[in-house]
Amino acid sequence: MTEHFEPEIVAFCCHYCAYGAADLAGSMRLNYPANVKIVKLPCTGKVDIIYLLKAFEDGADGAYVAGCLEGNCHFIDGNIKAKRRVARAKKLLDEIGIGGERLEMFNMSASMGPRFAEVAREMTERVRGLGPSPLRK
Amino acid sequence: MADKVGSVLVIGGGIGGIQTSLDLVESGLKVYLLERTHSIGGVMAQLDKTFPTNDCAMCTISPKLVECGQNLNIEIITNAELGSVAGKAGNFEVEIVKHARYIDDAKCTGCGVCAKSCPIDAIDEYNYGLCERRATYIRYPQAVPRAFGIDKDKCIGCGLCESLCLRDAVIYGDKEQVKKINVGSIILSTGFESFDPALKQDYGYGEYPNVVSSFEFERILSASGPYKGHIFRASDAKMPEKIAWIQCVGSRDRGVERPFCSSVCCTYAVKQAIIAKEHIREGLDTTIFYMDMRTYGKGFEQYFNRAKNEHGVRFVCSRIHTVDPGSDGNLKLVFSDDDGQLREEEFDMLVLSVGFKPTKNVEEFANRLGIKLNEYGFCKTSTFSPIETSRAGVYVAGAAQEPKDIPATVMEASGAAACAEALLAEAKGSQIVKKEYPPEKDVSGLKPRIGVFVCKCGINIAGVVDVPAVTEYAATLPDVAYAEYNLYTCSQDTQVRIKEIIEEKQLNRVIVASCTPRTHEPLFQDTIRLAGLNKYLFEMANVRDQCSWVHASNPEAATEKAKELIRMAVGRAAFLEPLHTIPMSVIRRALVIGGGVAGMNASLSLANQGFEVELVEHEPELGGNIRHIHFTLEGDKPQEYLNSLIEQVQAHKLISVHLESQVKKVSGHVGHFESEVRSKKLEVRKIEHGVVIVATGGVESKPIEYLYGKDDRVITQRELEEHLANSQSTIRNPHSVVMIQCVGSRNEERPYCSRICCTQAVKNALKLKEQNPDTQIYILYRDMRTYGFREEYYYQARKAGVIFIRYDEQAKPVVSNNGRLKVEVKDPILGADVVLQPDMVVLSVAIDSHLENENLAPLLKVTLDASKFFLEAHMKLRPVDFGSDGMFLCGLAHSPKLIEESIAQAQAAAGRAATILNKERVEAGGVVSCVEEKKCVACLTCIRMCPYDVPFINKAGVAEIEAVKCHGCGICASECPAKAIQLLHYRDPQVVAKVDAMFG
Amino acid sequence: MIIAEQKPIQEIKAMIAGYQKVLIVGCDTCVTICMAGGRKEVGIIASCLRMALQIDRKKPQLIEDCIQRQCEWEFVDTLKDKVDGVDAILSSACGVGVQALAERFPNKPVYPALNTTFMGMPNEHGLWVENCRGCGNCGLGRFGGICPIARCSKGLLNGPCGGSQNGKCEVSKEMDCGWQLIYGRLKTLNQLDQLEDILLPKDWSTDRDKGQRKMFRGDVYYEQTV
Repeated sequence: MTEHFEPEIVAFCCHYCAYGAADLAGSMRLNYPANVKIVKLPCTGKVDIIYLLKAFEDGADGAYVAGCLEGNCHFIDGNIKAKRRVARAKKLLDEIGIGGERLEMFNMSASMGPRFAEVAREMTERVRGLGPSPLRK
Repeated sequence: MADKVGSVLVIGGGIGGIQTSLDLVESGLKVYLLERTHSIGGVMAQLDKTFPTNDCAMCTISPKLVECGQNLNIEIITNAELGSVAGKAGNFEVEIVKHARYIDDAKCTGCGVCAKSCPIDAIDEYNYGLCERRATYIRYPQAVPRAFGIDKDKCIGCGLCESLCLRDAVIYGDKEQVKKINVGSIILSTGFESFDPALKQDYGYGEYPNVVSSFEFERILSASGPYKGHIFRASDAKMPEKIAWIQCVGSRDRGVERPFCSSVCCTYAVKQAIIAKEHIREGLDTTIFYMDMRTYGKGFEQYFNRAKNEHGVRFVCSRIHTVDPGSDGNLKLVFSDDDGQLREEEFDMLVLSVGFKPTKNVEEFANRLGIKLNEYGFCKTSTFSPIETSRAGVYVAGAAQEPKDIPATVMEASGAAACAEALLAEAKGSQIVKKEYPPEKDVSGLKPRIGVFVCKCGINIAGVVDVPAVTEYAATLPDVAYAEYNLYTCSQDTQVRIKEIIEEKQLNRVIVASCTPRTHEPLFQDTIRLAGLNKYLFEMANVRDQCSWVHASNPEAATEKAKELIRMAVGRAAFLEPLHTIPMSVIRRALVIGGGVAGMNASLSLANQGFEVELVEHEPELGGNIRHIHFTLEGDKPQEYLNSLIEQVQAHKLISVHLESQVKKVSGHVGHFESEVRSKKLEVRKIEHGVVIVATGGVESKPIEYLYGKDDRVITQRELEEHLANSQSTIRNPHSVVMIQCVGSRNEERPYCSRICCTQAVKNALKLKEQNPDTQIYILYRDMRTYGFREEYYYQARKAGVIFIRYDEQAKPVVSNNGRLKVEVKDPILGADVVLQPDMVVLSVAIDSHLENENLAPLLKVTLDASKFFLEAHMKLRPVDFGSDGMFLCGLAHSPKLIEESIAQAQAAAGRAATILNKERVEAGGVVSCVEEKKCVACLTCIRMCPYDVPFINKAGVAEIEAVKCHGCGICASECPAKAIQLLHYRDPQVVAKVDAMFG
Repeated sequence: MIIAEQKPIQEIKAMIAGYQKVLIVGCDTCVTICMAGGRKEVGIIASCLRMALQIDRKKPQLIEDCIQRQCEWEFVDTLKDKVDGVDAILSSACGVGVQALAERFPNKPVYPALNTTFMGMPNEHGLWVENCRGCGNCGLGRFGGICPIARCSKGLLNGPCGGSQNGKCEVSKEMDCGWQLIYGRLKTLNQLDQLEDILLPKDWSTDRDKGQRKMFRGDVYYEQTV
């Protein structure tokens, strides 16, 4: 099962940086696995903890939040708030038995297309290593 | 004198003409956009990709084409030429000669039946003759206006098209028409033509089929090109395995009377090599033969390095003398390798990187217009008025003035608009008509009926994703009432089609699955508005940038992902609701940060348009870097210019100057910012303003190598210039001088090129030679980047005996001091060490970003690039805009550049800023947070968490968020423990539906 | 207000694991404000429980609701219809709310999702402190408005113990010495002389030591039986 396992991963990206980085990865034709699907939000500060939980409840094998670099949030500190929520959600996922390592927070600027691709690869590999979400077994 | 006329004639519908037109109408001036061919778009519409981001040229220009085509205040006059020009600045009487098109562009729907039936083939100029078109034709699929025309030279008059056209748009008897208009100003954006490589006979163009020009190669690379994006060579339709580029074909070549550098060819060759490698996955060897790699623009050096190190493009510094035929259609080149040895090598295909030349009949055109040309046939301007022609009221933007790239053209286009706006300030709005949208349909209570339009984007999407299958799948999704695919969903004809289908199928939600909403959402939103739908009833699925482009190696996975992305969009679309904005008044005042040449020019330009300006400079006096510049290559007097500039700024009643002051706080939003400016005496002044222009400048870096600071005889170029300008200086007359280029630039610490230092070195060298022709000068360089017309001075320096020695980054010169200064450098041509013992070593040091940038960026909430220069919204098409509305940048704050470029950019920033200041109101709201009072428990969370202090507890005892102040980040909504706050357009059900839909 | 915090998910899960249909009820008052059990947290608890139970191959139905105050019959009664259809109730409110539900719906097992911690306030957003023990006999007027019962870890009434150092309590260096605060405040008020009065042992009869406390007001409590 794990050998051919293609994880489903949701990426919550802010409009200004991470989504721009994802577009740039496209412009630069950087290949990354097709497992990651983006949900665009104005700011990672809009990432409600419930969205993260819902994603796993729906069957996501992994999820991540990608915002601007710390200190460069278009909305001052939305990404810092997101980081705290991600930390709480990771703890809850640990408690639930899904595992907090399936969720991560990343920071990147709009000019970091290669980083976006790298993160997509990194998360896909990580989640592939972890196997399908316990909810999907 | 006749009153000033509130309209402008823009000549040339390329990207420059388009940008200037869009800026002009936004600022209240009507535009006549004159275009020689059947459609606007110019050269950019013929390019495949653009450097340094490899953005698809068509993708980025297409929304602008459509915007121009849709704008009620831009009258596009195609197939037309300038007739006579009379009158003067403010009121010109112009005759326009509109040639017969033989198809009425107002009636033509662009359906293409005429061209399909046309029996006659003709050369397709859009594809540089690489393929054929019919005698009845449209220039390119995305052309605006979307109308066909007939090539009468080829037409046999068979009457087929006339009989088939259901709209009766074909007019065989169409005649030339002369139209007379009055305009207040004229802007030239006539562009350039490419050098005819056949004139360079030794390269075999026209003789050997596998030698193509770079412009032809651009079409070959294009998905919409003659070979549909496949690279073939003409002789045998084989895919090449080895391609070489020869640089400077028709540039830097006195033999063909093109002594100047065309500025863009180095970077476009880099781009073509990278893209060609992407096209031929089986493996392609690429070699660029160059004289100097002139990748001097923002991000270009890094692009060049990526090409070299990551993509494996080979660069050989060698001027190719002749091209000989090789075996099997190949081309044989003889060149000297890095070690100076002559080598012979065969290539499957050869691309000649041809340079720019002035447009045809430019002298006659200039005469008609009454403007002067320079010795190369380009439009004459001066260092300190880079956009003004010799005739008042006539401005120039883009390559008509000097060879240049797209961002420079776009900047000058906005700058030219600003010049015209200043000239016609009192006539603004007099000829503008307003866009009318049909009344909005009430969709409340209606079951969602979603229409899905999937874009093939030529082969950008369809080449990877199975678009028909995806469309078929989309049609099966819940609430989807209609799905179709288009070759280019963004083309103007598709906009018309979307509107019709919304009507026909009673759609109340629309999804476009194409590229990124970051560039294309406004276009489609406008389209659905024209069909009576609220623009928020629109959703995009990014199946190109985030799918086909990044999963090209796995078409099946890409197709599946495209389906998922559309499913997610559909899930969300069902929950979309109409939103409405609130008109909000604009404070018609600008805050300009930085009082150097850029900041002062931006201020003056705005003030001359009638807007108040608050100019903040942290130093005790205005001037910035230009205070250290004493002469230019062109013989200008910068200090005189500076004094007059300062005088104008200080005398202008609309400009308030705040010296020794810094911006400490910025809040608010486009149209209404509130900032605090603190003076040295710690006085805080509150300023309300509608826009911000950042012009913080740059600084000369302090070198840490070559004994600088340890030996007084080692100085910087700027210090040398100060000495040369100071008659009291004791070291004005050195016997021998060594200049070292790229000190601190183009290295790991500063991967960028500082752009101005080559010009500066040549300038100072010539000055030294002028003072004493016997001075021995050696310039140690990596690539001489005297781009554009500056090449002439490089030539003069060599003629004057300045010795240029190339060095390699791996073997940098060594400066030592044994009493006498000693410079050792390895000359790669001689293959030997050269030892020099100069009196003076002059370092061409890097330009650093201003330290202040790091403080300012978080205040303005804007981004810096890796080198701490400010990052613009889009490298190509929004070079002076920040990502945040109402904020602009110019000058060295953006990247290193020459004075004339800073001035042009400052005027551009003013032009862009005026598009806001000219409005009485901007629309606010839309995506803002909204409190559901019933649920609010007044817990104060939103008040504590909002980064902008917007929410407050109102008299009813519940939280209130003013839409005009809300930035729409949604932080409060995601923190509210009572779930009483929702961010409109991103309500929880709207977001969760999208997540849910991902998993079916 | 009453401060509470969420119990670990596994603990809550263990309580409701045997039921098919559970109503999770939040409270819009104190626990919303201290972000432990309002509408949003109910959503989080429900989502976490669904996942945790799904891992155990269980698919219970969790119904989410939130009422204005779980400590008032009228609000509690609005739940009646929903309660009828469920096997158990999970109360995301303070202990008062849990008991109100239990009393009103005697046939349904009611479980607490929160631990009720104390009466207090947020010192900063997200940091709550206990400031009142509800002893029923307030002496704050004597202590400069700082309660020694709640804020001195030993509840001393006649000055600090010997463990007060640099303003911190010997029980924890993180904790301010309540008596140091009282002293500082009285000094500011120029009322240090108050400290010279020795307080007699406090009358704890109003505290909870005699069991559940009751209180009524004659002017509003009509059904009193005398």
